[in-house]
Amino acid sequence: MEIEVFFFGVLADITGIRQKHYNDVKSFADLKYRIGDEFPEIVHYTFRIAVNNEIVNDEPLLTGGDEVALLPPFAGG
Amino acid sequence: MEILLTDGPVRISVISGLIAKAGGLKDAGGHSLFLGQVRSDVSDNKAVKAIEYSVFEKMAESEAGKIKAIIFSEFPDVRSVELVHSAGLVQAGEISLFVMISARHRQQAIDACKKTVEMVKHRLPVWKKEIFDDGTHKWQQNK
Repeated sequence: MEIEVFFFGVLADITGIRQKHYNDVKSFADLKYRIGDEFPEIVHYTFRIAVNNEIVNDEPLLTGGDEVALLPPFAGG
Repeated sequence: MEILLTDGPVRISVISGLIAKAGGLKDAGGHSLFLGQVRSDVSDNKAVKAIEYSVFEKMAESEAGKIKAIIFSEFPDVRSVELVHSAGLVQAGEISLFVMISARHRQQAIDACKKTVEMVKHRLPVWKKEIFDDGTHKWQQNK
């Protein structure tokens, strides 16, 4: 399936991108592995995951066209 | 629209416009406002010159809707909740957040304003990069 991944805050800085399209994603674990493989420095940062604008706690079931966002700790205000 | 995201600082004209609009709420007896301002913190002998905000806009809109739903359900006196947040560069001393609660009576306006500001801090997907006077920067997170 095709998944759009968004990087925010410090993660956009360290990856050098804000958005990336992934093809042939088998599962969330597969996606996580591919992101970690491509951007190994990401493991040093704390972040939560949102799927289609909702924060998820466990490994979510993804469907084609889902938008996955990597969210460092918030700092609004 | 649940939240207004402004490019750069929250301008006084936006704030005064929202205050003027609140006058249309004839059953409101008070408005409680909070203005968040970029503070020039000093660390390692460097002063914060500005903050660059980045916002996950789609999620900010849905989270702002949830914040408002919580406020309206916990504070039945509240008549309106206005939220404005900066995106992009805001200089020290400029406004980056505006919250205004209009309610029938002052106590719920004040309490709901406080709760809204706390929820904005914890729930809105916003990130800030502090820009120092020597040109370096540091990503900051809320305590």
